[in-house]
Amino acid sequence: MGNQKWVFLKALIVTLIVFDIGIYLGYMLENSRVDEINKWYLEAEMEILDQTIQKDALDLMDLDCRTLEEENIMFGDKIFKEALEIDKIEKASRIVESINFQHKRYDLLRTLFWMNSIRIKEKCKSEFHTVVYLYQYNEPSLEQKSKQRFFSKLLQELKEIYGNKILLIPIAADNDLASINLLTKKFEINELPVILIDEKTKITDVESLEDFEKYLN
Amino acid sequence: MEFLPIVYLGYMFVSIYFLSLFLLLYKKNRKIMFNYPETKKIYEITAIVPAYNEEDTVEDTIKSILNVDYPGLKEIIVVDDGSTDNTWKIIQGLAKKYEKVKAYTKENEGSKACPLNFGLKKVKTEIVAVIDADSYPAVDSFRKMVGFFDEPNVGAVTCIFIPRNNKTFFERLQAVEYNIIAFTRKLLDYVDAIYVTPGPLALYKKDALDKIGGFDKKNMTEDIEATWHLAYEGFHRRMCLSTSATTTVPKKIKPWYKQRRRWNIGGLQCISKYKKCFFKKGMLGFFILPFFILQLTLGLIGLSIFFYLMTTRIISNFLYTKYSVSVGTPLITMNDFFITPSFLNYLGVILFIAGGLFTILVLYIINKDLLKKHNLFNVLFYLIVYLAVYPFIMISAIYNFLRGGASWR
Repeated sequence: MGNQKWVFLKALIVTLIVFDIGIYLGYMLENSRVDEINKWYLEAEMEILDQTIQKDALDLMDLDCRTLEEENIMFGDKIFKEALEIDKIEKASRIVESINFQHKRYDLLRTLFWMNSIRIKEKCKSEFHTVVYLYQYNEPSLEQKSKQRFFSKLLQELKEIYGNKILLIPIAADNDLASINLLTKKFEINELPVILIDEKTKITDVESLEDFEKYLN
Repeated sequence: MEFLPIVYLGYMFVSIYFLSLFLLLYKKNRKIMFNYPETKKIYEITAIVPAYNEEDTVEDTIKSILNVDYPGLKEIIVVDDGSTDNTWKIIQGLAKKYEKVKAYTKENEGSKACPLNFGLKKVKTEIVAVIDADSYPAVDSFRKMVGFFDEPNVGAVTCIFIPRNNKTFFERLQAVEYNIIAFTRKLLDYVDAIYVTPGPLALYKKDALDKIGGFDKKNMTEDIEATWHLAYEGFHRRMCLSTSATTTVPKKIKPWYKQRRRWNIGGLQCISKYKKCFFKKGMLGFFILPFFILQLTLGLIGLSIFFYLMTTRIISNFLYTKYSVSVGTPLITMNDFFITPSFLNYLGVILFIAGGLFTILVLYIINKDLLKKHNLFNVLFYLIVYLAVYPFIMISAIYNFLRGGASWR
């Protein structure tokens, strides 16, 4: 009976094998999700580059503003949907850290999109509103978390109501990126989350949907 | 990597380890699990039945002992522990009727160990059978268990316990639990790691009990303490899977809760008493003690995480609802129903299925007919709800243990 005590060691070896396989499969799963985000990012990067060229061309030549506006809105919708997907994937991410890096890249891309949208709005005298949602990404407090969850739902609701009238751009404001830091400083943003409408109105508390809507009409 | 996923992975590692350990032990010993050593020697046995307010069951218990087919049974010492009901009257009647039955009564001292030690002083035989007054040994129980004493240095032998009352859902859940316990106890037998020879039926070598000074009256689970003490003194404990005793299990949640709390307090008392044996004294220090401490630690950490997550979720949902209601946005949207599972979710589901399959395997091995009674819902309920209550009982036990206010009844 004494020799059966080796079973403790055997069980440990089996556990290590099973556990390692589990971790490896988990790593593969999360990496495949990061790859998917990377694919979206590359597509989005290409589109923003395309738009930037279109806008530059508009500066040089007399081109059709409407196409550019429409494409801008479509691109905004696309990256907003992707932001929701990335959020879900991030919540399910346990091992792979590179997802944070992807998030930063996306934040920069969205900032670039924001800047582009401002320029298009000025150039084409467009009627759409830029609604930039700046939120806390790293270790938000419980109150911030709840508020961000609420803001996120609220903005989705507004997007459904107003459709192409608003461009929704969510950006993490605390990722220590120089361009975003510069903008938050310029717009004197001292607390997060905050909703910035048309680079003028800052909203940190929403009393009612009507309060919010008055800035969009 | 964040803290919580590390903790979850730690839990999964421990779960996989014990599942692997039990499966490896089963694989190696599956053909001999139900074997029992035949012996030509007739061991003389005295049964001790401590009884406190057991008027409903004690007569059947004694009759079931008298009914045992082992020729070595010499005497049944029934010790009334100061009962306040008709137990003493019933015992006296049985003693008059049956020559082997000896009736004694004593003042209640608040511990089951006291009537056991009282009875132990009167034992003159080589083997002592300890039987609860609400338990009923099978006819073949002594015959199949005594052979284990042929092996040198075996101090105690136990067997399977089957709930006598298993009609209600709650009783059937306990039946699932008792079967799992019996099966894993047999597997632990192969590595000499049995940590309890429970009260419903255990055979002890009288010399071994004398060496450990009888049962510890300060301990709430004198059976666990005696087993640890035997291990401490180098005695082996054995499990016979080919026979059984039926026992009365709590019918309602409150007595069940009190019973489990008492078991937990007894476990804590044992940890406290034998803490110096950590990684000493053979399997007591290398497996039993670390196993109990690990159970306690995992239970406490698990419960702390549960409370932390519950509290933060409640506060977060409260704040979110407050904001949403004031503005009139929907609380739930379709988007909330699409959850992206993490790999920990997948691993958790796989482990849960493995645990479920192990439970079904155990029920199948122990008793195929019994498996028919335990439908899948019982097994699932046992795994999800029944086991989840254990850490809460542990907290209550720790509180009572620290207060020193634990009592047997």
